[in-house]
Amino acid sequence: MIEFWLIPVVMMLVIVGLFPPIAGYIVLVERKVLADMQVRLGPMRVGPHGLLQPLADALKLLLKEDIIPRDSDKGIFYVAPILSMFTAFVAFGVVPFSEQFRIADVNVGLLVISALGSVGILGIVLGGWSSNSHYPLLGALRSSAQLVSYELAMGLGLVCGVMSAGTLSMVQIVRNQQTQGVWYVFDNWGAMAPAFLIFFIAAVAETNRSPFDLPEAESELVAGFHTEYSGFRWALYMLAEYGNIFVVSAVSVTLFWGGWLRPFPSVGWLEVPLNYGVPFLLFAGPGIASIVLLAPKLKYAPHRYGMLVVGGALTLVGAILLIPAVNAVAAAPFWFLLKVAFFLYVMIWFRGTFPRYRYDQLMDIGWKVLIPLGLGTIALNAVVGMI
Amino acid sequence: MLEGYLPLFVFLVLCIAFPLAALLVGKALRPSVFAPAKLESYECGIEAVGGARGRYSVRFYLVAILFVIFDVETVFLFPWAVRYKQLGWFGVAEALVFLGILVVGYVWAYKKGALEWV
Amino acid sequence: MNPAAFYPTATDYLRFLPELILTIGGVLLLVLEALTGDNKDKSSLGYLAIAVVLGAMFAVPVALANPGTSFNGMIVSDGFAAFFRMVTLLVGLFTLLCSTSYLSREKANTGEFYLLVLFSLAGQGIMAASNELIMVFLGLEIASISSYVLAGFLRDDKRGSEAALKYFLLGSFATAFLLYGISWIYGVTGATNLVAIRESLAAGTSGNSMAVAAAALMLIGLAFKVSAAPFQAWAPDVYQGAPAPVSGFLSAGPKAAAFAIFLRIFQTSFESFSSRYEPVLWILALATMLVGNFSALWQSNVKRMLAYSSIAHAGYVLVAVTTNSNVGTAAAMFYLAAYALMNFGAFAAVTHLAGRGESHVTIDDLKGLASKQPVVAGLLTVCLLSLTGVPLTAGFFGKFYIFKAAIDNHLYWLSALGLLNSAIAAYYYLRILAAMYMHEPKTTDHPEPVPGGIQLTMWFSAAGILTLGVFPGLVLDYANRFATFVK
Repeated sequence: MIEFWLIPVVMMLVIVGLFPPIAGYIVLVERKVLADMQVRLGPMRVGPHGLLQPLADALKLLLKEDIIPRDSDKGIFYVAPILSMFTAFVAFGVVPFSEQFRIADVNVGLLVISALGSVGILGIVLGGWSSNSHYPLLGALRSSAQLVSYELAMGLGLVCGVMSAGTLSMVQIVRNQQTQGVWYVFDNWGAMAPAFLIFFIAAVAETNRSPFDLPEAESELVAGFHTEYSGFRWALYMLAEYGNIFVVSAVSVTLFWGGWLRPFPSVGWLEVPLNYGVPFLLFAGPGIASIVLLAPKLKYAPHRYGMLVVGGALTLVGAILLIPAVNAVAAAPFWFLLKVAFFLYVMIWFRGTFPRYRYDQLMDIGWKVLIPLGLGTIALNAVVGMI
Repeated sequence: MLEGYLPLFVFLVLCIAFPLAALLVGKALRPSVFAPAKLESYECGIEAVGGARGRYSVRFYLVAILFVIFDVETVFLFPWAVRYKQLGWFGVAEALVFLGILVVGYVWAYKKGALEWV
Repeated sequence: MNPAAFYPTATDYLRFLPELILTIGGVLLLVLEALTGDNKDKSSLGYLAIAVVLGAMFAVPVALANPGTSFNGMIVSDGFAAFFRMVTLLVGLFTLLCSTSYLSREKANTGEFYLLVLFSLAGQGIMAASNELIMVFLGLEIASISSYVLAGFLRDDKRGSEAALKYFLLGSFATAFLLYGISWIYGVTGATNLVAIRESLAAGTSGNSMAVAAAALMLIGLAFKVSAAPFQAWAPDVYQGAPAPVSGFLSAGPKAAAFAIFLRIFQTSFESFSSRYEPVLWILALATMLVGNFSALWQSNVKRMLAYSSIAHAGYVLVAVTTNSNVGTAAAMFYLAAYALMNFGAFAAVTHLAGRGESHVTIDDLKGLASKQPVVAGLLTVCLLSLTGVPLTAGFFGKFYIFKAAIDNHLYWLSALGLLNSAIAAYYYLRILAAMYMHEPKTTDHPEPVPGGIQLTMWFSAAGILTLGVFPGLVLDYANRFATFVK
């Protein structure tokens, strides 16, 4: 009994307690990466290289006045962001970070995630509707039409993955990839790759990310559905958005990219170099680099010491991961999170690269391109998978 | 069987409790200064004309209807996809017939302009 | 479980052939409709649809030649199913024959009409042949949803849109009742197969009072569909507002199919507590006859009058259902076939006489028809006489067998009240006849020629009425032979 509850409860507390700050740091990474793409520096003031910026943001949001517009439907206005946030968070409940690290392994995990995604749309629609103001309403309408359109394509992509997996349990999907010895994105002689692409494009649109961020197109709609929201309620929407980004990345990784499995899971001799080498390099490398290269350049002493501490901590984590006992447990979640981080980066990359679509283009892509392609991909995979 | 869902439900309660708690804590911390202008609907600084509960384009309804049709289709495909390997070629053929009928409907909607947005 | 056990055999498909043909034909028409341009003439699609219905009619004997259940007991091909398939297909054929000219008259150049008729027919066929509550529901929905669209097919017509909306809302409501009843039955017996439900209820292992409640829910749903009082309120508005050929279609085809599942469900699954629902059916039958006939008396609009008369006729069929016997079932089958002929014949005449925009649909507009268009008037007279129940017409024998079955089963009061009702009904049918033969025409303008399809329909139904009026055995023997269900 205790064993059954121990890891789930710890995971619950970790996710609820740690994801908000992690979301803050994803925002920081996003700002830094975008700044780098645009040859700027990004946040630099709060903490060394802006590393404490998320904390400042969080504090600001918590202390900001909570304004409820006079004309709004108060009850719905209160509930909508909570609805959005908790659906995004509950989806974490079926995401397996590794064989052990998961909250629940239900036999229809994938359906739970899509169902929660559908309910999450309600949070946006209700938020925009209850504001009783022009821009939020338009944002909510656009967003609901967009989300339902792309949900179809996403579902079609998922069906392809499920055909290979033969189960809807998130854990079992990864186990099946292990036994079949293939990440499903490479399954069916490459016929699955388009399925993944369709899924991922639709997922980007589902999370209202650029270039599909029309619900909050600031040049036309001020801030879209959350125009009237301020303070912590607004923060809940942001948390929901980043939660959703994380979850769709996690689904991509689980269904198509082998979940917590390391690359080439069936090749035994790669175990040591991959499971020990990569984490060490990834943590200790930047750690040492920030100690040696970044810290000396910082003129402001607290920043310099802060940078040294961060570098030291990163190096230490890299070293700890070399301990076999730790590595045996941590390698799987490490690979999972690394892959998720890659897809998070891809989404930021999109934002820095693609201009926003016009609304009719957006609907055209959803209905006239992705859905027929999705249907075709299912037919193709159904036939190729049988051969 | 349903035991597996138990942690999920506990987590669900926790996830609802967390924003409520955070909002309560924030309520104790944040200032609240009343000013009537703050409570106006946002309209880029000018006074809003009319409420937001007007009519909007019928296309949104159309998208909603199309969504229902195709979403049900996807949901119907899931059980087949789970048992895809056991059902074999017969299942593939059935699924293709199912998809084929839907594609006909899709083509019809396309030709009738239901998918056009302008 | 081995999935191969579920693979259908070739015979399974043969038993389901009429619906397969209709579905494939409908899908084909959908593609053709989409591919032909918006400005092209779509009446050729109508002819294609007629060919599809004829093909399905030829497939009915094929299905009958392979009796038995298919798709793991979901569909049953027996004489009863074949009979109702034939009736609904005949109604569909009439509808298609009447509608090509109607649609071009109303400037509705859209081919979807034809394929909706085909899909609705497929649904009705599934209803007739379903051996399973899920299939009942599926067939009912396919038939109904197509009918909702057909009722509002003339989009710019306010009355049609109102009719469609009312039909849709009340129809969905009725379906919800039916579905709720189905889920209760599944909860009680753990089965959706009609025979399995019967066995489970007969074994007495499950809660019978819950099964009675489920039967009551399903009874309400089906009573809606056959427009039995007190659930008839939608019918007059819908039949009046819908395009005339569609009104004819709705009042004959889906109603026959709904009666088919009514008979099959209540005589197969719920026979063990027939004594419980017989009084309810008794009251339903009487109320339906009374409401239909007395309301029809006051109508000046012919379509609305025919709508009320169709409610009354549903009441007569319910008398046959109340008997809960094979004789009664056979009488109901005969009556529904005869009713399809005479009612559609009348609606075909109305379709033609109503004129553009259906502006001439009152009894006054029929004045002096006999001198202006003697042929149409004569054929309409045959249909109306048959609806009244005059000897030598199909309607007479229909009523005769129903009341005979009722008396055989000791329903004396119901038969007596039913006979009184048909006497009342004579009044409003004769009113039309009087207007046609005993009045001078209101206007002297030259009548429009009767389109070929409508002519064919009217001649065929009149011939059918008279043939059955002289040789009722042609249909009745068949009905008697197949009025028993596989148990």
